[in-house]
Amino acid sequence: MVKNAFLVLLLMHTLLLANVYEENCVACHKKIPVSIDKYFYKYLLIYSGEEATKYAIINYLKVPVKETTVMSDSFISRFGVKKPSSLSEKDLQEAVDIYWEKYKVFGKLK
Amino acid sequence: MSVSKSLDTDFLNSEKKTLFRFAVLYILLTLVIVSVFSFMYYDAQKNLMLQEKKPLLQEYSKELIQELKKLHRDFDKRQTYPRSQQYDSAIYDNERKLIFSTSSIELDVHKILYLEKKMIHLVNIPESYYLGAKYIIIQIKDDGIWLEQTKKTIILFVSLAFVFMMGVGYILLRLFLKPMRDAIELLDRFIKDTTHELNTPVSTIVTNIEMIDKSVLDSKLLKKINRIDIGAKTISNIYQDLTYLTLGNKIISNDELVDIKNLAMERIDYFNSLASAKKVSLDLEIKENTSLFIDKAKISKLLDNLISNGIKYNKINGFITILVDQKCFIVKDTGIGISQDDIVQLQERYTRFNTSTGGFGIGLNIVSSIAQEYDLSINIESELDIGTEVSVRW
Repeated sequence: MVKNAFLVLLLMHTLLLANVYEENCVACHKKIPVSIDKYFYKYLLIYSGEEATKYAIINYLKVPVKETTVMSDSFISRFGVKKPSSLSEKDLQEAVDIYWEKYKVFGKLK
Repeated sequence: MSVSKSLDTDFLNSEKKTLFRFAVLYILLTLVIVSVFSFMYYDAQKNLMLQEKKPLLQEYSKELIQELKKLHRDFDKRQTYPRSQQYDSAIYDNERKLIFSTSSIELDVHKILYLEKKMIHLVNIPESYYLGAKYIIIQIKDDGIWLEQTKKTIILFVSLAFVFMMGVGYILLRLFLKPMRDAIELLDRFIKDTTHELNTPVSTIVTNIEMIDKSVLDSKLLKKINRIDIGAKTISNIYQDLTYLTLGNKIISNDELVDIKNLAMERIDYFNSLASAKKVSLDLEIKENTSLFIDKAKISKLLDNLISNGIKYNKINGFITILVDQKCFIVKDTGIGISQDDIVQLQERYTRFNTSTGGFGIGLNIVSSIAQEYDLSINIESELDIGTEVSVRW
């Protein structure tokens, strides 16, 4: 009985914590040996600000092509270009917002 | 003291006024020009200093970019912003939002190389935006040596330029004023000489008429002689007024105790023929005899002018009464009178005498200048077509 209750609580906790970013982005990127934060800093290196970075990521997720990727040629040769995202505009925006908040530089430097 | 010398003093005073006004305007203009040049020089020196410091700032900027590159690469492991003893720095993203700064002051990413709050700043844009930093600002302290040197140069330049401009201004002023000065001098000399030349003939006429035994003359000739007497006295009055204006108010007063009753009688006697010609009666009324410590010639001139005006503006068969009291004398006439507005204007002319010597009658000038010299208060009361009463109090 106690064991069952614990399992129910664990399931609820997982469901509550899971969000569009965790479910759709992190879940997929776990399969690739390059951690998800590396992509973020690649975007930052080229697009600098929040608005430009988010705009570039969303654009790439919607229409991923070799010409607009921030990753190196060797990376693309090895892993290829991802498939276009099936997420809605709203979900994409939400996922990218969470991604920005998680890895942004603002407030982290000492 | 000669008449000529006295008027020269007057001319110099008016020239000084013009010179002063010109000098104020010229100094202001000089200050504006010198300020503009000084500012341009300061700006040039500042830019020169900034250009001299630029390579050092670029060196620091390169150093910081290298450090930011390393930090960007290892950001998941460490987040300590690179610092230096030599400079302060700040990084901004492409939206000009501050990412991090070691400076205590607010920085401006819109300029490239600038001096603000005694700090020199260089804004650099790296090829890659490490940590999202599009704008990198390097800030070092300005030692201020260039500013001290610039200040010294500006002070020296301003002083020299000011002296030079003043010299040029003075020469220009003398040059521009010369034709005007020559014309005024010529006119002045003419008036002075004419006035001086009038003295002998006028005195001769007046003295000779006085010497004529009028009792032996027939009535026709007596009339003619009286007319000559009136004409000569009028010219004599004008001459005396001109002499007073050119000389009288410059010479030291010879004050004495003057019996006002006797003086009034003397002047009535003098003006009798003039008054008779206009059929004006001159009366003296003594309430209380009095005397005044004053220059006799000046108080006589003041009284003459009041009587002369009384005769001039009187009606045929009119009256002039000179009333003498303890602290005043009054000249009352039955003339055309003066309107209230004109009285106000006359009073203003009295008070303005010292600041404006032109634009109104010679007689009025003389009365007001004597009144001011001896602190006499002049009051005018008048009614149109009834008459005027001028009281002189002390």
